[in-house]
Amino acid sequence: MITRREFIKMAAALSAAFGLEGLPAPVAAALNRIDPKAVPRIIYLQGLSCTGCSISLLQADSPSPLSLITDFSQLAYHSDLSAISGKKALDLINAYISGQAGPYYLAVEGAIPEKMPEACVIGDKPFAAYLKTAAQTMSGAVAVGACACDGGIPGAEGNLTGAVGLKDFYEKQGIKKLVVNIRGCSVHPDWVWHTVIHLTKVGLPELVNGAPALFYSRKVHEQCPRYHDFQEEIFAKKLGDKGCLFKLGCLGPDTPADCPTRWWNGGRTWCIDSNAPCIGCASPGFARSKSIPFYRLSEKVKKGEKA
Amino acid sequence: MRQIDLGPITRIEGHLNVRTFVENGVIMDAQCISEMFRGFEIILRGRDPLDAQQITQRICGVCPYAHAIASCYAQEAAYGLKVPKNGRILHNLIQGANHLYDYLLQFYQLSALDFVDVTAIVQYRGNDADLLKVKEWVQFQTQSGMSYPAAPFLPRLSGQYIDDVELNIGALKHYLEAMALQKKANQAAAIFGGKFPHATAIFPGGCSQEARIDLIMAYQALIREVRDFYRDKYVPDVAAVAAKFPKYWEIGASKGGFLSFGHLPLSPESGAKRLLAAGILLDGRVAPVDFNLIRQDTKYSKYDSASGLKVRDSDTSPSSHKDGAYSWTKAPRYNGRMVEVGPAARVLVDYLQGHNAAIKKSVDHFIAWARITPEKLNSVLGRHLSRAILGLAIADFLLEESERIDIGAPTMADIEIPASGEGFGAAEASRGALLHYIRIENHKVEKYECVVPTTWNCSPRDDMGTPGALESALIGTKVSDPEAQMEAVRIVHSFDPCIACAVH
Repeated sequence: MITRREFIKMAAALSAAFGLEGLPAPVAAALNRIDPKAVPRIIYLQGLSCTGCSISLLQADSPSPLSLITDFSQLAYHSDLSAISGKKALDLINAYISGQAGPYYLAVEGAIPEKMPEACVIGDKPFAAYLKTAAQTMSGAVAVGACACDGGIPGAEGNLTGAVGLKDFYEKQGIKKLVVNIRGCSVHPDWVWHTVIHLTKVGLPELVNGAPALFYSRKVHEQCPRYHDFQEEIFAKKLGDKGCLFKLGCLGPDTPADCPTRWWNGGRTWCIDSNAPCIGCASPGFARSKSIPFYRLSEKVKKGEKA
Repeated sequence: MRQIDLGPITRIEGHLNVRTFVENGVIMDAQCISEMFRGFEIILRGRDPLDAQQITQRICGVCPYAHAIASCYAQEAAYGLKVPKNGRILHNLIQGANHLYDYLLQFYQLSALDFVDVTAIVQYRGNDADLLKVKEWVQFQTQSGMSYPAAPFLPRLSGQYIDDVELNIGALKHYLEAMALQKKANQAAAIFGGKFPHATAIFPGGCSQEARIDLIMAYQALIREVRDFYRDKYVPDVAAVAAKFPKYWEIGASKGGFLSFGHLPLSPESGAKRLLAAGILLDGRVAPVDFNLIRQDTKYSKYDSASGLKVRDSDTSPSSHKDGAYSWTKAPRYNGRMVEVGPAARVLVDYLQGHNAAIKKSVDHFIAWARITPEKLNSVLGRHLSRAILGLAIADFLLEESERIDIGAPTMADIEIPASGEGFGAAEASRGALLHYIRIENHKVEKYECVVPTTWNCSPRDDMGTPGALESALIGTKVSDPEAQMEAVRIVHSFDPCIACAVH
């Protein structure tokens, strides 16, 4: 956890990186349309990932994905979209992380295999080596998704790679750098892009547990449209039923995220509206333990036990 | 012979290097090197079986729904579930829409920049708002003096691009439209899947979402838009690329057989006929698929587990520094034979059995137009064309299938998990044949094994030294610039590799 003093220091450094130094952040935002020269460059690297977060970023509604990578940021490198590949792609990445190509932001999707660095390689080096170099030059980092934040499923119980999140990785290396955590498996596109927009136009957003308070300050359960069912004890008895999904194992009470108000895929749907219990994908402990299944069906509930 | 690494390969999923050995402008040898390992099968051991369709979706965020469906089929077999009609239909609506998004992404976002000259945008003289915006942005970026202007669209590989300004600009417009259309396909799937990526509403035996007319109408409206784009733009765009680069009917043929598990069951019971037929195509003949004939070799893979194990006996024991091993991908073989999976396999296996009328009509039309034989679908252009015509057939099917839903009837089976059991689940992911196997002991996952499309396509050599499908497609290819190897990159992209899937 960072102190307030550290937070302000980092926020100032960050604002400087985005060319907003000297102005109270909201004033700078109000005065400026975004200076196209000052949009943050993003080097987006993938570790032990499934690319689901990147695919989710392409589901952004308004602004569109194209606007987000041209008006609000410049996606200097992304392995799914970059035209260049091979040695020249490595040259580009290395030019940025060695500090020769100007200020940039590091976005990381995927976990870091701390105990088995060779389980993730880009070009001629382990993924971890890029992260260490980048720590010296980047303006800050955004950890995109469950894996990059907390290890995710690659870091779940029984894994052999020692997969950890970015913040954890840096702390173990003795590296102190700002890492904004955007949790979720996958992330909601708004959570990432609106953070980037905030950084571009306003500055560092307020963080709780390293994640923007704007999206993660309240639990799913607290905002759930079925909270009334919970209070009235109208519970779904089996999958596919309506009503509060708590007794089927819904992890909404444990999961900080604004899915109940934001909805997914252009606002068309979200898990609980389709009668699917929240599986806690935006929670730091997502999928971590073998002994906590996503659903409560296969084990008989003992008498007297909660739920 | 010069060794030239093409990795990191971009505009694919994940961490792939392709090592080539070039002599006199010809790729004499090639190795597909997967560079990421997570160990999903190990992580799944000891978990609740019903976690599996959630955990395995995270193998791949590009085709998560395919993993969910394959896992559901495997669990349905293991649990002995009787799937209601609506349950299977909703599975199909979700899985089909996932293919429609994925083909769009693959052709426009991942492959088009191999052919289309993005710099043509600065010559744009029209008044389309989106294109003007891109034009201004590219002009500003290239004149700004910043390092790496107009990324991620520039820099790019050196090579021959389309030289027709109108064609390029039209393709760029479609690049932007496809970006919007893939969202609509995903929204359609998410209506019943709960969200995309990584659906929460898919379960063995169906979906937790209801069979409501408002949802069906929204689904149909979205799919209809996507279908029209396939008909009016995607198919003509592939034809335009084919007309400009006809030699790519001859480039990138794999040198083995073809395998498809069949796509989209036409009724709820297991073993039901599918919209696209299953089959193994070897030596020009199609035969039924037998999962017991699949074995995975590991001599050149970074595992010290035994080689040649059947799927239900599989083992995964990583050994990153094993002598001679060069990839994290295992080498699956069908009865000892190397095969290609994916869009061309789906089309060829179906077409040669005379199974689906829409596929037959499309294939006959295009082979007459291009003056090729059906075998030439085994090529760079053949894979791109296969996706386009599959997309049309799938979209039309989804519109009909969604009409068959019984409004208000149950959408899923009641799930009861037995103490022990086992099951295979075979589906077609957008990238090809996908097999899941689950074995349950004491109510927990005792073994889980996935043999995934890119495991087949990007496999390293097997124990006999036979290259994998993509390796075999690269070997013998002439390259005009040994450093950039645009020809090789086009071949790789036509397979649409997904390394997160391949290794998992």
